[in-house]
Amino acid sequence: MVSCKSKSVKNGMIIVTEAPRNTQTPDFINGESRRYFPGLRISAFKPGKPSSLTVLTEKFYSASTPKISYDGRYMLFAAQQVKNELWQIWEMNLDNLKCRKITSVEGNCTDPDYLPGSRLVFSKLTVNDTVKTAHCLYTCNSDGSDLRQITFSPQTCFATTVLKDGRLLTVNRQIVPNEGDPIFVVMRPDGTKADLFYRGAAGNNLISSAHETSDGKIVFTESEKGNRQPGNLVSISYNRPLHSRINLGSETGVDFYNVLPLRPDNYLVSCRKTDSERFALYEFDPVKKSLGQEVLSDPDYDILDAVLVEKCEKPKKLPSEVDHQVKTGLLLCQDINFINEQMTDNFANAGKSLKIEVLGTDTTYGVVQVEEDGSFYLKVMADIPFRIRTLDEDGKVVNGPCSWLWLRPNERRGCIGCHEDPELAPENRVSLAIKNPPVIIPVHITEVKEKIVELE
Amino acid sequence: MRRYFKFIIPVAILGVLGSFLYKPYHRWAREHVNYITATDDHPPGCTSCHLYLKRTGVISKIVNASYYSPFNLAVSNDGRDLYVVAEEGNALLVVDTEKQRVTHKVEVGNRPHSVILSKGGETAYISNQWSDNVSVVDLATFKVTDTLKTGGGPAGLALSTDGKYLYTANSFSSNLSVIDLSTGTERKRLTAGNNPAGMQINADGSLIFVTSRRTLSAPFGDTIRCEVTIVNDNKQRVVERRDIKSAYMMENIAFTPSGDLAIMTLVRPKNNVPTIQVERGWMMTNGIGIIELKPSGRTVQLLLDEPNAYYADPFDIAITPDGKRAFVSHAGVDCISVIDIEAIRKLIAESTDRALDTFSNHLGISSRFVLKRIPTGANPKGIALSPDGKVLYVAEHLEDRIGVISTERLETIGSIHLGGSGRITVARRGRRLLNNAGHTFQNQYSCYTCHPDAHEDGLVYNMASKDMGRNITNTQSLRNIGDTPPYKWNGKNQTVYKQDGMRFSTVLTRTEAFSYKELDALTAYIMTGIPNPPNLQYNPNGEMTEAQERGKAIFERTHDFKGYEIPVVNRCVTCHPAPYYTNKQMADVGTLALSDDTILFDTPHLNNIFASPPYLHDGRAATLEEIWTLFGKTEQHGSVNDLTKIQLNDLVEYLKSLRDVEYEPKPSQVQKASFSH
Repeated sequence: MVSCKSKSVKNGMIIVTEAPRNTQTPDFINGESRRYFPGLRISAFKPGKPSSLTVLTEKFYSASTPKISYDGRYMLFAAQQVKNELWQIWEMNLDNLKCRKITSVEGNCTDPDYLPGSRLVFSKLTVNDTVKTAHCLYTCNSDGSDLRQITFSPQTCFATTVLKDGRLLTVNRQIVPNEGDPIFVVMRPDGTKADLFYRGAAGNNLISSAHETSDGKIVFTESEKGNRQPGNLVSISYNRPLHSRINLGSETGVDFYNVLPLRPDNYLVSCRKTDSERFALYEFDPVKKSLGQEVLSDPDYDILDAVLVEKCEKPKKLPSEVDHQVKTGLLLCQDINFINEQMTDNFANAGKSLKIEVLGTDTTYGVVQVEEDGSFYLKVMADIPFRIRTLDEDGKVVNGPCSWLWLRPNERRGCIGCHEDPELAPENRVSLAIKNPPVIIPVHITEVKEKIVELE
Repeated sequence: MRRYFKFIIPVAILGVLGSFLYKPYHRWAREHVNYITATDDHPPGCTSCHLYLKRTGVISKIVNASYYSPFNLAVSNDGRDLYVVAEEGNALLVVDTEKQRVTHKVEVGNRPHSVILSKGGETAYISNQWSDNVSVVDLATFKVTDTLKTGGGPAGLALSTDGKYLYTANSFSSNLSVIDLSTGTERKRLTAGNNPAGMQINADGSLIFVTSRRTLSAPFGDTIRCEVTIVNDNKQRVVERRDIKSAYMMENIAFTPSGDLAIMTLVRPKNNVPTIQVERGWMMTNGIGIIELKPSGRTVQLLLDEPNAYYADPFDIAITPDGKRAFVSHAGVDCISVIDIEAIRKLIAESTDRALDTFSNHLGISSRFVLKRIPTGANPKGIALSPDGKVLYVAEHLEDRIGVISTERLETIGSIHLGGSGRITVARRGRRLLNNAGHTFQNQYSCYTCHPDAHEDGLVYNMASKDMGRNITNTQSLRNIGDTPPYKWNGKNQTVYKQDGMRFSTVLTRTEAFSYKELDALTAYIMTGIPNPPNLQYNPNGEMTEAQERGKAIFERTHDFKGYEIPVVNRCVTCHPAPYYTNKQMADVGTLALSDDTILFDTPHLNNIFASPPYLHDGRAATLEEIWTLFGKTEQHGSVNDLTKIQLNDLVEYLKSLRDVEYEPKPSQVQKASFSH
């Protein structure tokens, strides 16, 4: 155990991450800038008393991304004890400020959060043939044991938040075959049902993690068109995240970095009014869309990542269908030729697809004929990333490939089509593909010996 | 000192004894609870079973309570009074809207459903769904002046334009009664859709629209269709049967004052899709159907759901007198949706047929016309507007309360307590859980959605399992199943605790499992509180018809009509002995399909079986007859191939007469004989 100052952090205090220099360009691949940055520190202060600011992580070389437990008594954070050491996940008891190390793993770890139940989630830099070099999400027990990887694609996942519905919301960016724009992806805590939650305009950059408010909004900061400045304070609706974007700070002219929603009419924002200033903490009224008073500033540090120390309602603890004795997952698509009403002419006029090709990161897993109704039904080896593109009768590519997918062991997944509107529910019909056994992917595998699970 | 030792020694002895006994007792208690609940993690308390599952006796009287359960309501012409149907109170409650209290209670028939007022407001007609009649109440004296016989299960009501005829939607017999109010007798009986419930006369009084809850009979895999029956009021004839595709549970309907649109509530189930996820509306979606009332008018369906939030079990709809707004009650999520009707008109006008078809599955479309969601009390059902349209009254069914909403401010401004029991019992909590979608992911559906009225929805689902195309299964009723374990079509769950425990949340609701307290409450409700309606259609008083008597003899026979002894295992009564007509065993009746993972199926109980088509574990038999005419040739499901068609008809007539234990005088002797074999 590493002991910090012998004080405690009380309910109602605010904990912040402070960075010793200006953070300009978040690098999502290797986590420079505010992640893994030297000299970051976590401090706490009483609202209304900025002079009470106390550094909690003096004994660490660098520490960041604090998250508070649901009972308000503990804090998770990522830290380096000494320079050049790997970043690991730590937990601090806020009653006595004693810290304990949670993880001792290969690869830098960051962005931890508490799951309902006794597990944690965090990002870890992972290097292998499957994901190449990416931050994948992992979960573990609260003592660091039973480490499990839950994302398996060449996409990097950062800044994870646990939503009230129990799912994880994470900043996700494709790395292979080319860099994609960061988007918010939502998934269950076992890595199943990963899906697009929010995508900004092309070229937009997500800067902060997402924060869920008590009135059904998700707020975060985002910059436009690849330019870091200014950061916008953005609100979307949880109910309809893809089409509810509001720029809350458009009239303030302020560069936002992060946000902490305290109440529906009161946020704390990390922002700066001009380039020459440090990021400081201010009040913000999202109803009036106006910046309020300064809450905390430091001439030598940028104030980032504010979290409130308080007891709060636990998110729902979602059940898991993952079974590690099963080696595969199942995927059903209703119609690869489904054309969304809002499709552009390019897609709408594309030829009819009769086959799909399943692609891995470096290889093809095979070509599969689809059914007459455009449906296919696959049994895919679990925990491998794959993409799908559609082919015409001559094997020429019609569309795709789609985004990266993976299936967890025993996961069952369905989709409507290759050009589905993410807001569409499926047609109520029996797909021809499920009248036959699924096609095993990779296609060269003819049989998979695994436990047969009866879910119902 | 001696006194001290006199005290301490017995205590010490007791302590030692206790410590010796505690472990074995605790072990016994753990084993006992595990056995009773068929789980291994239920807390070892006593009250769950020994208190809350009591159906009769003193304990039952103490732990349970009586409720009114307001279901539907009507507002007087001057807006001063509400007439509230108390479903469980078997009463019509008259509520003074200014004094905000009940002023009169009129006892009506069994399980009243709807109320309608005469044009002048002097008379109220209340449909009594479990009495097969309508109570006529004089609103000056608050007395029942007449009782009008109807078809089976009268639900929705409508009065003819001239006020001379009363129409009832007979939900159990799936037809409409046309009652001549001058004579009090039924003049006509018109066939309607399956399980008709909602009924409204259109703006110009020429047509009556009747919405159905269950789909028309169709094999699994076919597009489901639910009927809107349109009746000409003048001629009292069915002039059109409009099929609404991919929808069901069309509970109610309303017309815009201008008469251009009819709007009804509906649910769009995904029973043909494997139950592999809830995200993105893969189990149920909820919305409205809109019928353009003009030549070549289109029928459109629009969802009220949102991509990450669902509004389960839409029930009633009311449209403001100015025609600008509609209010829809969502019984499964305790809220009212406020709809901009002009926005709907615009959406329909500017959209192609293909776009509208897409919109019927589009979870984002509601943002174009839903203005607000107003929270209500538990399980909002019927709603009614004040004559000036400024106030919306909501029957909060499991709250024993009427919610009062300002339609101008779009918020709740008060509530009127009806005076039922203020105590929420464990079973009542369980009923609230069953009717609330809060325990499915994103509130997409409730238990009620697939088990409306705690019965079954008549649909066959693809429950997936090992592979996605497998295990096509027919929804089972929850009525009176307390004594008929095991549960699930393959009998894998010995108790309701297990049925609704962790596996339920993993494969169906896909969200946090019920807490133990919630599971106890749900179990208490299911095990103690869900009776079948009386079987008034086929067995109103226990006296069987001649055909039923003949059918009973066939059911109980030991020899076929060629004189051969029927093997005991193949006699009807062996697997289906009274009083529940199930021996609670698993059986292979030759109905195994290629898509089934199991060979043996749980023997279902047969009480009120007439009300549960389709039949067999996968719903392949659309009628009782088909169980044998199409699927009984192997003689594994009873010995029937020696029967003539008339004899089979008799058997079916007998089966239709089977009814709940509580309506029978005593258990049949046949049951004892069947268990002794």
